[in-house]
Amino acid sequence: MTTPAVEAHGVGKRYGSLVALADLTFAVQPGEVLGVLGPNGAGKTTAIRVLTTILPAGSGSFSVAGVPHTRPTDIRRRIGVLPESAGYPDRQQGQEYLRYHARLYGHSRASARAVARTLLEEVGLADRAGSLISTYSRGMRQRLGIARALVNDPGVVFLDEPTLGLDPAGQRQVLGNVRRIASERGAAVLLCTHLLAEVEENCSRVLILNHGRVLAEGTVAEITRRAAAPRSGRLHVAPEHVERATTVLVGSRAVEDVQRTDGRPGALTVVFASGVNLDGASMNEAVRILVEANVPLVSFELEGARLSDAFLAMTEVV
Amino acid sequence: MTPARPRKGTSWAVVFGQELRDLWMGGRGLVLSFAFSCLLSVIAFLVATNKALNFLEQREAVNLTLQVAIAVGTLLALLAAADAVSGERERGTLESLLLTPVSRFEITVGKLLATLSLWFAAFIITVPYAWFLGRGISIVGETILIGLVVGTVLAIFVASLGILISVFAASNRVSLSLGLFALLALYTPTQLPSSAQKGWAGELLLRVNPLTAGEHYVGKVIASSHSWSEDLAWLISPFVAAVVFAAAASILGARFIRLRGGVAG
Repeated sequence: MTTPAVEAHGVGKRYGSLVALADLTFAVQPGEVLGVLGPNGAGKTTAIRVLTTILPAGSGSFSVAGVPHTRPTDIRRRIGVLPESAGYPDRQQGQEYLRYHARLYGHSRASARAVARTLLEEVGLADRAGSLISTYSRGMRQRLGIARALVNDPGVVFLDEPTLGLDPAGQRQVLGNVRRIASERGAAVLLCTHLLAEVEENCSRVLILNHGRVLAEGTVAEITRRAAAPRSGRLHVAPEHVERATTVLVGSRAVEDVQRTDGRPGALTVVFASGVNLDGASMNEAVRILVEANVPLVSFELEGARLSDAFLAMTEVV
Repeated sequence: MTPARPRKGTSWAVVFGQELRDLWMGGRGLVLSFAFSCLLSVIAFLVATNKALNFLEQREAVNLTLQVAIAVGTLLALLAAADAVSGERERGTLESLLLTPVSRFEITVGKLLATLSLWFAAFIITVPYAWFLGRGISIVGETILIGLVVGTVLAIFVASLGILISVFAASNRVSLSLGLFALLALYTPTQLPSSAQKGWAGELLLRVNPLTAGEHYVGKVIASSHSWSEDLAWLISPFVAAVVFAAAASILGARFIRLRGGVAG
């Protein structure tokens, strides 16, 4: 079994009487992208700052890249971080900025130059290497920040809101970099974000925080199944089959109610019975009933099965 | 891949080098030095040509120039030091620096040394003026050496004070304001009437205050023609202040450089 890239046990952090983080326990494997979700003030940034040793933990223990929290300098040597709202020295060139940080990690001048060149190519900034950072767009700065986080070839990369304020093209470029960090470098990535679609597409697992506590941890499918049990589905049949479809669905134990969707001929909203397990095969039950009744199904869409629904359900409850 | 490991004790040099580049290539050091050279040119011109001032003995003219150089040179070092931590904090670049394996002690030392470069630049600019005003008399060499030693000691003290303020200040504006206030407060005793300066309390004040003590020593040696060893006791407080504040900046800086300014938490 491989050693987890990040392993936290009961990590806590307080600011006076305010509990910023309580009993944070989770693990991330190398090559995995963990999405860290939570509303504003949930403790995401505090968690990253504690795990990256910028802030001392109030309680608990953790290890990053196999290094225990009692050796913060060694942890910093093995991690890469893109902090939230990272600033950049406007009067430095992109390549100068990376060379400086590479040298802070112990690279010689020549090695730092080579690392800077390679990383600028990797994040698509090679043609702007000699430009002042003040001339970079926000997306370019974020990519430069990701490059800086990689100067030491880290085993674990922490990215705090890397796509904040970027246009869709910028988001795509940054997320492409994130995926490559995990797949090509084999590094574990902790991705803090508010964009849930980003997590669904890029993260192998999810950690949801609220009020400093872990609400859920698992794959996207596990989280949505566990937290936001799908409550309804929207199906579309040929208008002449609406009556028959309604009749057979109401007769099923899995269905509580069927309603016509206003203004859309052939559209029905199916309300599933509470307490019925709706994962996999169970969800197919409604479809099977329709097929057996010879009702041609145009479309079927489960509502309440996305991560965003799970996230809202979990964070609104607490 | 095994992560690169900085050679122990050399990271301060990397920080120092980058801070120097930022200060000088970024233009701030050049602008401040240019402004200083303009000021010195005006003073030298007045001393050499103005009827009221050109009756100053050459020694006094050289002394005046050197006193101005020390006062303004230390002010420049203070300005850079007061921005060193609080400025990075406000620009959002401090976190990236703290995330590197470089110790906060080395970060502080690198920054402190870089701020001193402004004093050294001011001193180098002063040398030709001192030579011009003191030509024909034998004190130019001594002036330059004494100015370098005393000015450097005072610059270390003032820059360390600036770093300390910058570490604890809640904002960059507060840091710069407090730094300037502290410097002005330290120069206040020079405005006391000469009778007050000659009493035991006045002399104690001048001796305890590193800035006034240092400048008093320079005046004694250059303007009053004392030997350099005659008034060495006046250098006790500048040396003690430089050592104590440099140590405090390095140690407290290493302990208290944080993402948030202020003294709480």
